[in-house]
Amino acid sequence: MAAPAAAPFLGLGPASRPPAASRPRARGRRHRKKGWKRWAGPEARLGREIGDFLEDVALQQRAAGGLIAEKPDESLFFVDTGDAEKDRKLNGGKEKPLRIDLILQPDSKVSAPKDILAHQIPNGKKEKRKRQLWERLAEKGVLPRRERLLRARLQREPPAATGSKVLEPGRVDPARSFYDIWAENNPLERALAGQDGWFLEQTKKQRVKRPARLRKKPSEAPAVEVIAAGGSYNPTFEDHQALLLRAHEVELRKQKAEEKVERQLGFPTAAEAPTAETLFREECEGLLEESDEEGEGPSPEEPGEPLRAGPTAAAPRKEKKTEQQRRREKEARALAARRLREKAARCRRQELFRLRSLRLQVTRWEAELLRRRQLRQAKRRERDALPRRLGRLRYEAPSLEVQLSDELPESLRALKPEGSVLRDRFKSLQRRNLIEPRERAKFKRKYRLKYVEKRAFREVTL
Amino acid sequence: MGGLEKKKYQRGSATNYITRNKARKKLQLSLPDFRRLCILKGIYPHEPKHKKKVNKGSTAARTFYLLKDIKFLLHEPIVNKFREYKVFVRKLRKAYGKSEWSTVERLKDNKPSYKLDHIVKERYPTFIDALRDLDDALSMCFLFSTFPRTGKCHVQIIQLCRRLSVEFLNYVIASRSLRKVFLSIKGIYYQAEVLGQPITWITPYAFAHDHPTDVDYRVMATFTEFYTTLLGFVNFRLYHSLNLLYPPKIEGQSEVELKPTEGEAYAMDSESYLEKLSALSASLARVVAPTPEDDVEMDEFPVEGETAEQMDARKKEQEVLEKQKKLFEGLRFFLNREVPREPLAFIIRCFGGQVSWDKSLCIGATYDVSDPSITHQIVDRPRLEQQVVGRYYLQPQWVFDSVNAKLCLPVADYFPGVLLPPHLSPFVTEQEGDYIPPEKLKLLAMQRGENAGEESEEEEEEEEEDDNDDDDEEEEEEEDDSEKEEETKLKKMEEQKTQSKALPVKVTAGKVRLEDKQRLEQEQQSEEKRLAIMMMKKREKYLYKKIMFGKKRKVREANKLAEKRKAHDTAIKEEKKKNKKARRA
Repeated sequence: MAAPAAAPFLGLGPASRPPAASRPRARGRRHRKKGWKRWAGPEARLGREIGDFLEDVALQQRAAGGLIAEKPDESLFFVDTGDAEKDRKLNGGKEKPLRIDLILQPDSKVSAPKDILAHQIPNGKKEKRKRQLWERLAEKGVLPRRERLLRARLQREPPAATGSKVLEPGRVDPARSFYDIWAENNPLERALAGQDGWFLEQTKKQRVKRPARLRKKPSEAPAVEVIAAGGSYNPTFEDHQALLLRAHEVELRKQKAEEKVERQLGFPTAAEAPTAETLFREECEGLLEESDEEGEGPSPEEPGEPLRAGPTAAAPRKEKKTEQQRRREKEARALAARRLREKAARCRRQELFRLRSLRLQVTRWEAELLRRRQLRQAKRRERDALPRRLGRLRYEAPSLEVQLSDELPESLRALKPEGSVLRDRFKSLQRRNLIEPRERAKFKRKYRLKYVEKRAFREVTL
Repeated sequence: MGGLEKKKYQRGSATNYITRNKARKKLQLSLPDFRRLCILKGIYPHEPKHKKKVNKGSTAARTFYLLKDIKFLLHEPIVNKFREYKVFVRKLRKAYGKSEWSTVERLKDNKPSYKLDHIVKERYPTFIDALRDLDDALSMCFLFSTFPRTGKCHVQIIQLCRRLSVEFLNYVIASRSLRKVFLSIKGIYYQAEVLGQPITWITPYAFAHDHPTDVDYRVMATFTEFYTTLLGFVNFRLYHSLNLLYPPKIEGQSEVELKPTEGEAYAMDSESYLEKLSALSASLARVVAPTPEDDVEMDEFPVEGETAEQMDARKKEQEVLEKQKKLFEGLRFFLNREVPREPLAFIIRCFGGQVSWDKSLCIGATYDVSDPSITHQIVDRPRLEQQVVGRYYLQPQWVFDSVNAKLCLPVADYFPGVLLPPHLSPFVTEQEGDYIPPEKLKLLAMQRGENAGEESEEEEEEEEEDDNDDDDEEEEEEEDDSEKEEETKLKKMEEQKTQSKALPVKVTAGKVRLEDKQRLEQEQQSEEKRLAIMMMKKREKYLYKKIMFGKKRKVREANKLAEKRKAHDTAIKEEKKKNKKARRA
């Protein structure tokens, strides 16, 4: 009883106060005026402390009949000897059972029914037999399933069992280890080996098979394109000239394109600007000479013919045909049709004897088809060899690496490497349609910068 | 008619493609993440055939992907990892902002990471598939391993690239599979033949870096990330195919470990392993020690449909290859400090030579300059102060040219201070009738074994090294001879080309008797050819004529080039003579 009561009791000395009380208490809410006035300030705190103290003293007097600090130790504590009999004697038989306990004692003459279930284990016999069975099996070396699984896991990954802190070496760790990934039982597939493929796929234990279409490379170009023979550090004269010529042509093309743009954008100077006379001449360009030439020619006759022919052809038929005319025309038509029919029949009969020439025709036609097909295929191959357009930008071939005749080194020591292998690899990836050509993302400022001169600077006047 | 009205852009190609932005939204990824995912999974954009149909009537240029590809991407577990990583970054930033360092620590411990192993397996179901795509991986790794550690990309990537590329170089040395080298102005091209697959890669020269600004480093880093994983697995497999230990161990490493003071000057203990490996001077330890009499000749079974001639040719090729593999066997090289050490050491070791360098230059030097057993010293300076008797002093180009020519070239052209013969590209293969520069012609003749005369001349040259004037004259004579030979050869070639049309008319009496049989045979052959041409159909004849015309044109062009070359050579020679006269005067 003494222990819980000790907390509210306070010692009189300043050091005996609990540390929480010495700390300034958190103030109440201050968002109202009320909160400001009430119990604020050091006087209020002092008053509160005194109040607490007086209350405590009153409590002690009420409970223990005087201040606890002034009481002798014997009245407060008893000696615990650890012997029940001795204790009872020492404490003067204070340990009587409480009355309430006596009241609650069962006083029935009939004993309560025994709780059998409290002493019984359900399925005890069965469990016991099971346990015995497993003991016997364990002697033979057969372990239960759970035990087996546990041991297997322990054997499989000892580091994981000992400490999970040790991370597996990652993919870019310079000391990572490798294994034979193409062997029969590689660690990648060992867990799934020998199981039904359909089952694994349906239970998502096996990954989806890679489609066969992805096995084809997007371009036929070789991964490493060896530079032309002229790119040797010590080339033969011809090879070097050939490479120089190629570089020269590329350069010329570039220059031409540049010049064209310049020409189109350039504004003519005052001397070159068109005057009224040149403008007029430009407008008459081709008109005067044409009239000269055609003046002598057969121009007057030509328009005559269509004039004569036009009206006759276009003239509407005015007169109605006579009966006789209609009959004759009909007969003529029938005759022509019959002749055609006969001719076709004759031709059909004759075809039998034209087999050879027919065969020739067929072979010719087939050869023509073959030629066209080959042409098409060649065109397609040519197109396939070119890099595709994969994005907003087109692929731009890198500039040719070339060293001029006077740049060629005397020996390997003096060689100054041209171009960069890194760029070469990057361009090769683009060339083979593996990545789309992109340009570097540009920095775009959203708002205009505002310059402010620091005051310290502004104040400096020279 | 009836039926529902068909709406536009709801079937056909419009539904087969998806724009990049839509795909990105479907996957719930940001653009950089989406781009990275596509690169890792090998999904590339497509150009649709009818852009207007796909683009719902607009002709704006956009990036399209196949819808099926994107649906395939939806199954990828890495997508989830990307999302997790995004959340991780957000949390970390928040913790930093609040200065909650314990949270930062906790988050960093649980940083989400992913592996690309399953993607490698998925993209390259067989080992050969992976080998075919190794060009890119190698070039990228070699490139990244030369990057300075300045924060353009993660240092770990650079270190991993360095490790993998060194491992691959060591494999090439152990398997002796290097075939071609080409020193270009851009970088060094190598070609190796690994398990029957030609693999070409380019390495930049050391210290040749200007960082171009128009290259997207993030994209390159993503490619490299994937390629390092691929190369690691390939290396593992390659090492095991040769019974080598992986990760590689230097043979007799226990000895090296006994005296660690040797390497202390170069690197810390943790780094010295890679440094020693990258020195390329030591051979690797094997799982099973090789027995010397392991080279039992294989029984050869003729492939079906192969004639005896083809088999013979194959056999001959094999022999040449075997010979090339042992090109530098028994030679001991010493590299001066001014020559590029790594490529030279790599190449020399690839062909069985032994190599060393100055001890202060790099770790792993095996013998000293003063070693009397050195046969070749590679130098790249105009003159040497003191020379040791008994070894050749050569310019580095000799090594590269010898490898490409598949034989040890005569050393006289490569002495220090001598004007070098041109370095020819081994990747150029001339077709019949193409112009072949005289240097290459000489080389081809040497390869055929027609160098008996020249060798004696060289010996003479070596004997009379001090007598410069005589030497020069001899050289000139030699050149004249070779020119005459060339002319006759060219003429012959043209005759052969034009034979189809007209028979060789002029036949001198003496010569006819001398090579009567040959001539007759030739005549008969040409007669047969003429008859065959006569029997041709019109269409075929037209085609044939066209082909022959093209060939002739080629020969004509080649002749023109040869003449040009001759003029150039004579001009140079005259200049030389003038110079010499001026010097004498």
